[in-house]
Amino acid sequence: MKNILTVIITLIAVSSFSQEDKKVQYVGGARSIISNADFSSDQEDTVTSRKNSGGYALIDLGFKINPNASTEILGMVRIKNAFGGFWGSGVTFDVRQLYVKGVVKNALRYQIGNIDYKLTPYTFYNHNADLLVQSSSVLKIKEEVLNYESFYKNNTWRQQGAAIDFAFQFPKVVDEIKVNAFITRLNPSNLGNILERLYGGGNVIFTQSKYLTLGFNHVSIFDLKNTALNDNAYRNNVSSVSYKATLDLKKNIFGISGESGISSSALSLDTSGGLKDYFINIQANFQNKKSGLKVHLGYMDNGADFRSFGAQSKRVDFNQLNNFYERYTNDQIIRPLSNYDLYNDPTLYSNSITTGIMAYNPAVNNVLPYGIATFNRRGLFAGLTVSNKQKSVKFDANYYRLGEVRGQGTIKLRSFNSINSTVEFNFSNIFNWKKEQKLTAGFAFQDTKRTSDLAFEQIALKSTTLNLGLEMELVEDLYLLANSYYFKSKGNELMPVRNSEGEIINFTPLNISGEELCLAGGLKYNFTPSIYLAAIYESNTNSFSSVSSYRYNQFYIYYIMKF
Amino acid sequence: MKKYLFLFVLGLGLVACRKDEVNQFDGPSLEDLNGAFVIINSLQASQDSVDFAAGESVYFTADLSKTSAWKITITGQTSGAVKEITGLSSSIDVSQSLWTGNTTNLPIFKAEMCKVDLTFTNEPDTMTVYVKVLAPKTNTGFLISDFETGFNGGWTSFVQAGANMDFQIKSDVSAPEGNSYYNMAGTVDWDWLIGLVNFNASAYGASTFPLSSNPNNVYFNVMVYGESGLTNSLVLFQFEEDENGDGAFTSASEDMYSLQVTVDWVGWKMVSIKYSDIPCLVNGSPAAPAGEGTHQSDKIKTINMLHLANPVSGFAKAKLDYMIFTENAPLNP
Repeated sequence: MKNILTVIITLIAVSSFSQEDKKVQYVGGARSIISNADFSSDQEDTVTSRKNSGGYALIDLGFKINPNASTEILGMVRIKNAFGGFWGSGVTFDVRQLYVKGVVKNALRYQIGNIDYKLTPYTFYNHNADLLVQSSSVLKIKEEVLNYESFYKNNTWRQQGAAIDFAFQFPKVVDEIKVNAFITRLNPSNLGNILERLYGGGNVIFTQSKYLTLGFNHVSIFDLKNTALNDNAYRNNVSSVSYKATLDLKKNIFGISGESGISSSALSLDTSGGLKDYFINIQANFQNKKSGLKVHLGYMDNGADFRSFGAQSKRVDFNQLNNFYERYTNDQIIRPLSNYDLYNDPTLYSNSITTGIMAYNPAVNNVLPYGIATFNRRGLFAGLTVSNKQKSVKFDANYYRLGEVRGQGTIKLRSFNSINSTVEFNFSNIFNWKKEQKLTAGFAFQDTKRTSDLAFEQIALKSTTLNLGLEMELVEDLYLLANSYYFKSKGNELMPVRNSEGEIINFTPLNISGEELCLAGGLKYNFTPSIYLAAIYESNTNSFSSVSSYRYNQFYIYYIMKF
Repeated sequence: MKKYLFLFVLGLGLVACRKDEVNQFDGPSLEDLNGAFVIINSLQASQDSVDFAAGESVYFTADLSKTSAWKITITGQTSGAVKEITGLSSSIDVSQSLWTGNTTNLPIFKAEMCKVDLTFTNEPDTMTVYVKVLAPKTNTGFLISDFETGFNGGWTSFVQAGANMDFQIKSDVSAPEGNSYYNMAGTVDWDWLIGLVNFNASAYGASTFPLSSNPNNVYFNVMVYGESGLTNSLVLFQFEEDENGDGAFTSASEDMYSLQVTVDWVGWKMVSIKYSDIPCLVNGSPAAPAGEGTHQSDKIKTINMLHLANPVSGFAKAKLDYMIFTENAPLNP
């Protein structure tokens, strides 16, 4: 038996524990932000405060305890003090992280409490669907703050529950079989009409060799019956097969990868049986070893009734209101979420799985508002990554040519084009400079069309995003930062209005026309690679509101530390 | 071997072809939504008289040429009660328009003739039918009082000796349910308390109110009237629990939860709250309960109703009607 099957140790876990000699360590981070904004709009506004200043200091203090070589406990508290608070006023204390993890018998790894988890892009995945261009320079600092606040790491969702994983290694046919499983709680019962809702699943990954990997994945959102006075329990199941095959030749690598599966979602008392559908995503990959050129070409077909809320939950709910200058003008109209807010306000972001179709802004992302797992999309996609030998120029582009699978309100289908690209110039490598000098340009363009003889069915919407970021090291560890972010969208859409079951019951016409420009510049000093101070000034103009354009200038000081 | 495996996986990815969905679409037809509006079948009631007390219901039907936002408004010709039903569809049927005798805006419907209007958000058309309510709906739950049978001898009360004091049960057409309500009015310039009524469980022949032991399933409901031009009334309901079952409430060692209602509206309004959501208050501020700290709805011994107002605010007036505990959901009057 020993010759056939060997249970292998989860090497990563063991090695990480074996490195820990100290029984108690302090981990965490600290951040302080001071800002001063100057707001104005085209319309007369004697109500809204023109100037706004604020800021806070916070420290995340965690105790990582290793009671033995195979167990780790982390408890982290956050102390936050809004500037202006005095003797405890404005101070908040929160528990930020709490987990226990370890290895059982050098074979099974577990984690209980907070878990950062993902499976595959169609089952359980945190897509970043609203920040389309790569962040650089000033925006990179802001996005790092957003990601830290919401625990966004490598497309994982922060959940509360338990997870295990273990693996088997074989001498023949299959190299390894790895098993991952998790269970989390999405919402508690109120003992009245809301049932306890859990989210669980896992996968089994067969690694035949370094040339072939096959995964069987399953996730399920389900209500526990008898936890409330409600017999109508919800369930959303997604099962998929993921695969990656590689043909490694002398000069080139060819490969094929993808994921295909089925989903079902229903309430137990729904006699119609709920929604069932399937998806296919397959792509061919090519890599030239010498030049580093990577190309992929793929096809996707996500059914109109495909529902996988672990992969379709958005980071931002576009139905929520801004926290910063929520209203303006004398009529105190609502200031809608802008791209500037998406980069600046971590409180807009959520880390919960929403069991329902979330609102999105078609100007920001109408092609894949729920990432690659967006339902009702079919078509081709392609990508290209190339860099020169010196690594002085890197280029990356992705293109989607998609269409709807099923129409909305008409049999006419929308068609979509989307391109995202980034080019990065590393002048240090070009000119052999010692100091870092980097220019990054990001570009995104989206086009939505629905043609029809009937005017009320016609849709035409275009959006363009352009981001230029410069990071220039002036003297050792002192950087000049400059950023120009431009966003434009023009056209119309018919946004579906859905009932609580997600069915479309009406359409709201939406006319979009506006531009947003943010120019930012500043200095950043790195005390160490994980501690820095940055002073940034930026100017933002926004003309998306049909009532009144607005602009504001803002000065920030960031102090960020991780330990 | 590796090449065969590679080809096998390649084949796996190319297996499926979606069935044709070109003639299907989600949601209402845009052509319907944007086409001409014509009433195909006019508004009709399923019956011209209805006995809600006997469990009967009535529904309305109509057919339109396109999906439209519609509203059915049922108005009691005697009570002035209003029930509104809204929808978005091209056909109105029982699934959308069933009326079981409940109201959207107080007062409650009486036995009366009701006018039923069907209107549309984007169209000028109105259709009208009449339905006669033979008997209004009855509500399940434990009725503390609807004040229809006078002041219960088991209740106790205290009224300050202020000016223009008027604490009594009154009967007139303004009652939101039945014909009577409890009126509370007066000026007390030395104390917040104007008057109070203690609704004791013993008045109903029990040591505690006969309620479910699950505080998440018990709802307290009361109709409160706010007087035009006056926003100074506070109505405080105190729920005293006899936790140790000794037949008395001991404030130092037993829980009392308090619902404070600021009457800042005009007219009758339904106030409903889950018992487990009622906080413990001391002088209007949240505080720790003195007893076990757990809501125990089956141990409520007395409900104190206090009419309060800031002594410097002058004359205060409010009215109460139809105090009732319901289970599983707030009262749907």
